[in-house]
Amino acid sequence: MILDQLILPWLLAWLMAGLGAYLVAVLDRWMATGSTQAGSVWLAPLASAAWLLTQQATTTEAPDAGAWRLAPALYLALAATGLALVPWSPTLVGVDLATSLVLWGSLEALATVVIFLHGWSANSHLALIGAYRYVALGISYLLVSMFVLIGVALPAESLRWTEVVAAQESLWHVVSQPLGLPLFLVVGLGLTFWGPLDLADSTDLSTGTAVERSGPPRLVWALARAAMLVAFSAIAATAFLGGWMGPWLPGPAWLLLKSLAVLVVLLWLGRRLPRLAPERCLTLMWVVLLPLSFVDLIWAGAVALWMA
Amino acid sequence: MSWQRRLAARAPAAVFLAEAARIGPVRETLALVPGIRLVDTPRHASVLLVAGVIPTGWRDDLRRIHDQLPAPFASVWCRCEPFEALRNPIRIDVVEALPQGVVETHRELMLGKRDSAPRLLPDEPPNPWEGLGDDGHGGEGMMGGTPYGRPMAMNMQDDRRDGLTLDTLTFRLGPFHSALPPGLQAEVSLQGDLVQAWTVTRKPFAGVVEPIFHAARQSSVPIAELELARARHHLHRLYRGLWLAGWPTMAERALRLAEKLGPNSDVAGLRRELERGGLWRLALPEPGRGVLDEAQARQLGGPAARAAGIDADLRSEDASYRRLGFAPTCREAGDTAARWRQWLDEIEQSLSLAGRAARYDLKTAETAAVETPRGPWAEGFPHDMSDLLGEVLPELEWGEALLTLASLDVAALDPLPLANDWRTGFAEAKREGSP
Repeated sequence: MILDQLILPWLLAWLMAGLGAYLVAVLDRWMATGSTQAGSVWLAPLASAAWLLTQQATTTEAPDAGAWRLAPALYLALAATGLALVPWSPTLVGVDLATSLVLWGSLEALATVVIFLHGWSANSHLALIGAYRYVALGISYLLVSMFVLIGVALPAESLRWTEVVAAQESLWHVVSQPLGLPLFLVVGLGLTFWGPLDLADSTDLSTGTAVERSGPPRLVWALARAAMLVAFSAIAATAFLGGWMGPWLPGPAWLLLKSLAVLVVLLWLGRRLPRLAPERCLTLMWVVLLPLSFVDLIWAGAVALWMA
Repeated sequence: MSWQRRLAARAPAAVFLAEAARIGPVRETLALVPGIRLVDTPRHASVLLVAGVIPTGWRDDLRRIHDQLPAPFASVWCRCEPFEALRNPIRIDVVEALPQGVVETHRELMLGKRDSAPRLLPDEPPNPWEGLGDDGHGGEGMMGGTPYGRPMAMNMQDDRRDGLTLDTLTFRLGPFHSALPPGLQAEVSLQGDLVQAWTVTRKPFAGVVEPIFHAARQSSVPIAELELARARHHLHRLYRGLWLAGWPTMAERALRLAEKLGPNSDVAGLRRELERGGLWRLALPEPGRGVLDEAQARQLGGPAARAAGIDADLRSEDASYRRLGFAPTCREAGDTAARWRQWLDEIEQSLSLAGRAARYDLKTAETAAVETPRGPWAEGFPHDMSDLLGEVLPELEWGEALLTLASLDVAALDPLPLANDWRTGFAEAKREGSP
């Protein structure tokens, strides 16, 4: 009982968060083709982590110390909670709530709060702008996320991730709801403020919410961002790519491969596109993607009715 | 020696570069060195690299930056005097040795062979606030004072965008901020993320161009070399712009192109990638933002003027250029997006001219008037235009403002040539610089 419901999920989530974050660092470095980075692609993330661990954690003038210290840990905790919701097989699930899909949605909303907290609590102007920018972006991608997630819940007639996967036995949602995954990938870039949607820790703000960060807290923040990418990739594989389903290999192996595929796409997009200008980003979200997410939901409903 | 420190020594050297006056393309060169990572904030660095001549009035700012680096850290001084208070400062005047020296400094710090630099300033708040005001946090009642060291954000100005008046946040940026021209300091007022006011409080250091532009004012020089230098200058500016636009992959690609530039180089591939990636559709300010009117464009001269449809280019007056069929390339809009496109147009034009000039071994015919990448240099040379920023940047969102600033070359042109050795020897140093 304790092993099944407490220790195993906890281990699974943290193992995935740690190993996944390391993998993100390796992959992202490897994708920077022709890059000037020296040293082994496998060792570099560990060396950078060791460097940050030896570095002093500087402070600013009168930060909101508690919030500033907590924000990276909270973001990491959100990523780990997300990973705990992922079903690896019909029986191997960290936290198999009847409303696990809603809980994921709430993690996305809480991420907005935590990222804002990270920028605001530093008492520094560039970090503050990054924080406000992220809130402006967050509201728009959360709406898209909500409609897309309702779309995958409809055929399952359930808000439980295991049921969402089971409903894809005959046809994966990536096929039956073609708009869903592309829209959800945009949500992923927003949630992790990665690549083209990195408005919070952007270069024009000298790394925005992280501008005053150094040492171990900066390491935790980087780790949390990478872990959130992994959590999102696993959730996207669960929602659209049939989760554990697949021939020959065991379920967890399939989920790993599918999550890796989503992760690679996200990292590739991050390298392939410039950062969106905030105003254009909001226009894109509200005028293009939000209506498309309505269409996705209507489509999902119609297909669910037809297949029923 | 702990395993952690040995591992940390293998991490890239995180360098915050403080660019002072009269330096060559140090940032552009170090950006391609394996084992060095340039960072945008002192908090992310383990090495502060100060390069160039530091005027007296800028040294206190440098002290503040120096003290923002987290321990263990060190500073490296290239062609400038280190602070007297520093024990055992690292001074590297031979530019070729810079990459290796910076990497070595980081490694020594991590391995404990070098002590972290001392702090130069007392660690106390810049604003007195503790114990002041009604509750001891520096504020007075509902307004005024400096609560927690920051002046109250007050909505003293009408909003310039949509009528939604927010509190105005005023702060100073620069003079060694990596997104601004070296030396420039500005007082910026924001409402939300919108620039309300931009006041230049200190002018940028005069910019430098490659020595061949100075040589061209003395005697005839090969057009191919002159045009390659021009293309390189614009590619370097494009690199900084793309870095600001959050596209490090393409920024690095622009730099690599600049590094290997020759008469047969081609910018078409880079242009295609920028178009496909949506630089103009997604990342740059929309058409009509960051516009220079005709008077401003004329005052600024050079590519910015041509991007506004003013076909003034001193190369038109040179007989050798006329033999090559030269005609100024122009755009009409005069906005930020047009200036970014103008860079690519001019790079393409320069490469084409260099290719043809190399075939005929053509040299310049004029020495009295030279079109530099910054603008025309005849009787007068491009002077400081940084006050223009106060007219152009307000009403732009923060990111738009910085991408607009990146598209404008507002620093004066330094009339004295740089020593040639700012550019030599880096290629060898780069190969040796990797740990």
